[in-house]
Amino acid sequence: MEKETATQASLSLDEALAQDISAAVVNAMRSTFGVAVVPGTFEVGEGMVSLVGDVSGVIGMVQSHLEGTLTLCLTYETVRNILPQVVGKSVSITHEMAVDAVGEITNMIFGQIKSSLAQRGYHMKLGIPCVVSGKGHFVSQFHRGRYMIVPFHLDGQLFQVYVALHAEASKAI
Amino acid sequence: MSQLANLKVLIADDHFLIRQFVRNTLQDSKINNVQTAADGNEAIDLIQKAFDVTQPYDVVFLDWNMPTISGLEVLSYFRAKPEYANTAFVMLTAESEQQNIMKAIKAGATSYIIKPVSPSDLSKKLVEIHEWIKRKRQNAQAHG
Repeated sequence: MEKETATQASLSLDEALAQDISAAVVNAMRSTFGVAVVPGTFEVGEGMVSLVGDVSGVIGMVQSHLEGTLTLCLTYETVRNILPQVVGKSVSITHEMAVDAVGEITNMIFGQIKSSLAQRGYHMKLGIPCVVSGKGHFVSQFHRGRYMIVPFHLDGQLFQVYVALHAEASKAI
Repeated sequence: MSQLANLKVLIADDHFLIRQFVRNTLQDSKINNVQTAADGNEAIDLIQKAFDVTQPYDVVFLDWNMPTISGLEVLSYFRAKPEYANTAFVMLTAESEQQNIMKAIKAGATSYIIKPVSPSDLSKKLVEIHEWIKRKRQNAQAHG
């Protein structure tokens, strides 16, 4: 039974989902900040993994048979790189600004992913976005399913989108 | 484009990032008469006060999810008042579900813009919104 579940989960965390994530991130960053981010090669794995970042946006994703978490994990360096495009280069970026911005970027990116999934027949509900901040914090998803990490590059900096799906949930997608 | 510069605009969004982003785009279109609100209550207050001093907003951008009162509630509140019929209420939100779009349109939204939106697409929408305002005013004059 576990093997069957794992196989189904691997079908969900596939190229198509990675493309949805990449398109959403590239579009949000280009539209809002006028910056060109480059998606890297996605990785799919099993079990718990921890991301390290400075500001992370986390949002729950549920369906009748699905439970998952979406995380956008950025460094302060990346936030300081993109925010001046909107607030101006002379404005010093505060912690509150970084948290506010990552909250809204999370909302936009995962809203767009939700829309793309709906077009492919997967109708999800998203939870309330939550922003975690703190230099070098860990984001750990406690689950026994599979995960996908999609890396993005921006001017030599790396940030990541992480999707974790609960093992039982994978039947739906 | 110069007519756009005369527009009076309110941006209601709880995220400073979006308030600043929209303000920048408006400034690129030479629209400088711009105020902001960080929640639904503040938006209602500003819209009513501007109307009371006979300087109503021409365009109000509304986020859907805001503290205190949602953008949809603000929209419904003012669409129930005929004196605000010429004000363009524009939903600017990450809510992309078709049923929510329909809900906003039924409630009287002039336009529905899904975030993220690029500055150039937002500028194009502004031109359409301005045309809507002109038509409404022409109709009001014709029937006034």
